Amino acid sequence: MIKPKVAFCWEASCGGCEEAVLDLNEDILKVIEAVDIVFWPIALDFKYADIENMNDNEIDVSFISGAIRLNEQEETVRLLRKKSKLIIAFGSCAHLGGIPALANFWDRESILKKVYREAPSVINPEGKEPQVKTKTASGELELPEFYDTVKALNQVIDVDYYLPGCPPSPDLIMQTITAILENNLPPKGSVIGPAKTLCENCSRKDSKPDIMTLKEIKRPHEVIIDPEKCFLAQGLICLGPATRSGCGERCIKANMPCRGCFGPTDNVIDQGSKFLSALASIVDFNDEEEIKKVVDSVADMTGTFYRFTLASSLIKRKRRLK
Amino acid sequence: MNNFEPRIVAFLCSWCSYAGADKAGSSRKTYPQNINIIRVMCSGRVDPQFVLEAFKEGADGVLILGCHPGDCHYKEGNYNILRRYHFLKKVLMELGIEEGRFKLDWVSSTEDDKFVTIVSEMVKNVKSLGPLRNEALI
Amino acid sequence: MERIGVFICECGPNIKEALNVEEIAKYASSLAHVAFVKSHTLLCAEAGKALLKKEIIERNLSRVVIAACSPKEHESTFMKIAEEAGLNPYLVQIANIREHCAWVISDKVIATEKAKVIIRTAVSRVLLHQPIVNKEIDCTPDALVVGAGVAGIEAALVLAQKGRKVYLVEKSPNIGGRVVRYEDVFPKFECATCMLDPKLDEILHKNNIHVFTYSVVDEVLGYFGNFIIKIKKKARSVSTETCLGCGACFEACPVNVKNRYNENLNERKAIYIPFVGALPNVAVIDRKNCLHFRNKATENTEEKKCEICKANCPFGAINFDDQDEIIEIKVGSVVLATGFDSFIANKIPRSGYGKFENIYTGLEFERILSSTGPTGGEVILKNGESPKSAAIIHCVGSRSKKFHNYCSGVCCTYSLTFAHIIKKKSPNTEVFNFYSDFSLAGKGYHELYDKALEDGVNLIRTAGPDAVEVNEDAGSLVVKYKDAAGKESKLAVDMVILSTAIEPSEDATSISQLFDITLGSDGFFTEEHDKLAPVSTTTGGIFIAGCCQGPKDIQSSVAQGAAAAGKILSCLVPGEKLKLEATIAEIDEKLCSGCKICIGLCPYKAIYFDKEKKVAAINDILCKGCGICSAACPSGAVKARHFTSCEITAEIKEIMK
Repeated sequence: MIKPKVAFCWEASCGGCEEAVLDLNEDILKVIEAVDIVFWPIALDFKYADIENMNDNEIDVSFISGAIRLNEQEETVRLLRKKSKLIIAFGSCAHLGGIPALANFWDRESILKKVYREAPSVINPEGKEPQVKTKTASGELELPEFYDTVKALNQVIDVDYYLPGCPPSPDLIMQTITAILENNLPPKGSVIGPAKTLCENCSRKDSKPDIMTLKEIKRPHEVIIDPEKCFLAQGLICLGPATRSGCGERCIKANMPCRGCFGPTDNVIDQGSKFLSALASIVDFNDEEEIKKVVDSVADMTGTFYRFTLASSLIKRKRRLK
Repeated sequence: MNNFEPRIVAFLCSWCSYAGADKAGSSRKTYPQNINIIRVMCSGRVDPQFVLEAFKEGADGVLILGCHPGDCHYKEGNYNILRRYHFLKKVLMELGIEEGRFKLDWVSSTEDDKFVTIVSEMVKNVKSLGPLRNEALI
Repeated sequence: MERIGVFICECGPNIKEALNVEEIAKYASSLAHVAFVKSHTLLCAEAGKALLKKEIIERNLSRVVIAACSPKEHESTFMKIAEEAGLNPYLVQIANIREHCAWVISDKVIATEKAKVIIRTAVSRVLLHQPIVNKEIDCTPDALVVGAGVAGIEAALVLAQKGRKVYLVEKSPNIGGRVVRYEDVFPKFECATCMLDPKLDEILHKNNIHVFTYSVVDEVLGYFGNFIIKIKKKARSVSTETCLGCGACFEACPVNVKNRYNENLNERKAIYIPFVGALPNVAVIDRKNCLHFRNKATENTEEKKCEICKANCPFGAINFDDQDEIIEIKVGSVVLATGFDSFIANKIPRSGYGKFENIYTGLEFERILSSTGPTGGEVILKNGESPKSAAIIHCVGSRSKKFHNYCSGVCCTYSLTFAHIIKKKSPNTEVFNFYSDFSLAGKGYHELYDKALEDGVNLIRTAGPDAVEVNEDAGSLVVKYKDAAGKESKLAVDMVILSTAIEPSEDATSISQLFDITLGSDGFFTEEHDKLAPVSTTTGGIFIAGCCQGPKDIQSSVAQGAAAAGKILSCLVPGEKLKLEATIAEIDEKLCSGCKICIGLCPYKAIYFDKEKKVAAINDILCKGCGICSAACPSGAVKARHFTSCEITAEIKEIMK
């Protein structure tokens, strides 16, 4: 029997998704036994040329993690798209833009300026910034182009499936690989994971009062968190109600509220604004001034509500006022 | 810029504001035609996603009109949108969408004049802000 | 394959002259899925409706857009035509090209372009419409009325038709509420008891009205159309069947207690009938004060249990073993007519109330005037003499920032009524009315003012409700006041009557919680709409009447009682099912994670948590379709029918195209 050919590739990613593959532990052996890995830059020595030399659709499935913020990344994923039967957006960044997409509050110019000139640890008296092309004595050097806007994978190439999570849970990874091996995949475009949001599986579900209300919004470091009680009922921002379940509630078990890495459920386009709507609705004030006080108490509201989804949200980035 | 005609999506609750807009019609009051009305049963039906969708689709402004506080046909739907409005306004501002492009107000079924005033002011304000172009959306 | 029909109404000249109808029709024909376009002079006229119906059938149209006036004008007209033509009425969308276009744009070219946008938006929306069928449920037409005052009595009598059962629950041992304890009521000074008696008699003797006096509602389950209610019938200790109200028992009873029914102005026995003529004419034992029960409670076995009343009853009606009884009833609707309380005057120390003798509140004075009251209707002082002068002080507790901001509405009228009756009963008594403003709106009410002047009543205008103070000096009451001009004066009087405010009854909060209705900031029950729905509440099937909704006079209370009953008669008809709102919200339980965000948001408490499935669920009967829950649901699990996110998003996209 011919083993399916599988590629793993990371783009604008922290590497956590790759760790997650290794977190399959003994199961990784089963995977390796069942598939033929043809590309995995982080673990195995393959070159882009190896892929370029393949026939179209030769790879059965490519798992791509990370968002897209460089032209090199865009080229790589376009190449993989061409050579792969299935593309799976692996993890929050590829799926939704993830943490790197928080850069969409700024643009290339301001980011480069901050990182290369203004950061307190940087000494750069000449104010040099990386250039795409640099002439040197030995010829012209080229660096990948840095985009203004970070994108999710499906904003660059056609994606067949999405495996959510920062990083995806080992269970979900195994479930996906098994589905591929058994040719038992859901309809194209599906996010692999349960249909409901996190509250469904949350161990604190029963602690929720029937009527949820909030008069004050607190941050985790400001309170001693009750390890049994619904975070939202404690006045802590927990994106659980607006976030797809399937993560194994790792944050909740560590007594930390959900940050939303699994993204929205199928009927929701914009996780951040849907969470906003839910949260605002339970604020227990009708008085405008009191409402404003609560609004003002939320630090970095957009970054909090769209922590993983800014690139794939309806508005996608901060408007450039030019 | 002077020729700029903004496009504004307006969500009007069926009981008060939509009827107020109707009354502006019955009393033959002209107002700028930059406003495009979508009828909802209650201002509390307005999902923030609708507002973002409108901006995404190219609206230069979004207006929500409901019954006056205390007069909501559904008792407290307008308080609900009031809360959402303030949260959403903050998010929009953090995303660089100016305050003047997103407005919530109250218009009763008899306040045709108020409706006309709000619409005219909003159009004027958005005109002065210029087009909302967000290249990332394209 | 969808076949959308677009019908453009010219609305006589209204639309025709403002827009280029021909161009619009041509544009509409070019839209995807539009199979037929037709314009007509006046679609809402008979000919127009006939045309619409004919074309829907003949052209085999699957959906319809009507470009015409506002949906608030004729949406239901056109939905009905669609239904007659065999189309689900919810497959119709109105494009408002009159009020929102033709009438507000003076430039024909711009108006035509606008109309095109409005029509294409309606077309894109109607494509997504889903047929909706009005659900119907079984229900009971029987009703519960709480409170047997004038409002409750009127409601019960109007409701007791067509075989409906009416359960009338009254916490007091007798029916008739406050009014039955009044003597002469404004504006015509008719005797309230005489006026009410035939109604009370009818209540007690009508077969399908079940009266539960000395009873309270203990539990309310269910919803509009199908409430299950537990009534706690308190132990009366006297058989209602055998007691004739002869009085032999209380003549013998050794215990004297203040009589609340006479505003504590005299005493009654531990076994008593509240006042002469109280109906039903049956005694009741006040177990808190009765020696038989008091001894039992303290287990004082030394003293022999008192059974004097039992020994004296010629009919064997006394039953010490009587127990509280819980009765479960099924009703479709409820009228709450739980009345009011009078402002407690000693909250205002300068009123002198409670400190000095011969100062009475309005309700106390009503009892003094009553022939069944403590003085047998004579206006006399504590010492038995008739007063040489009396002061009636208006606005006690009303129109006050500290107590009740509102005007109680009835005090001016009853104060002038008091003045007139005092003058009639005791012509030599000087009467002084201390008022700051007069509120005498109502049929025949202002005439009371003229009558007072004719009677020689002194009307003294004060600087405000707070500008009057009552003290005692040398054994006489002294009214100190600042008049409208700011001048301070003093006046010695023998008697003072305080026109105390109407305030929410002490059990208003517990009743509102029991029936799940809201209280306003003033403490009265909140109506669904202050002008257009004054007797319904936002809780389906619960109606309110009389002073529990706010201060009002007898005729308004009776009118509200009748109105509440009328509402019920028209929506719960024997043998008919209850037709539910069609455009309501629904929760997809496959998507709901049970986060409970929506539950507290519903203004009608239509959302509940299904404890078994651990998801939120909507009670179709209570939902009114506002869509707040749908906007708030972070899972996208709540669909607002006919205003779905898909439909609204389609409108946004089409407008912005």
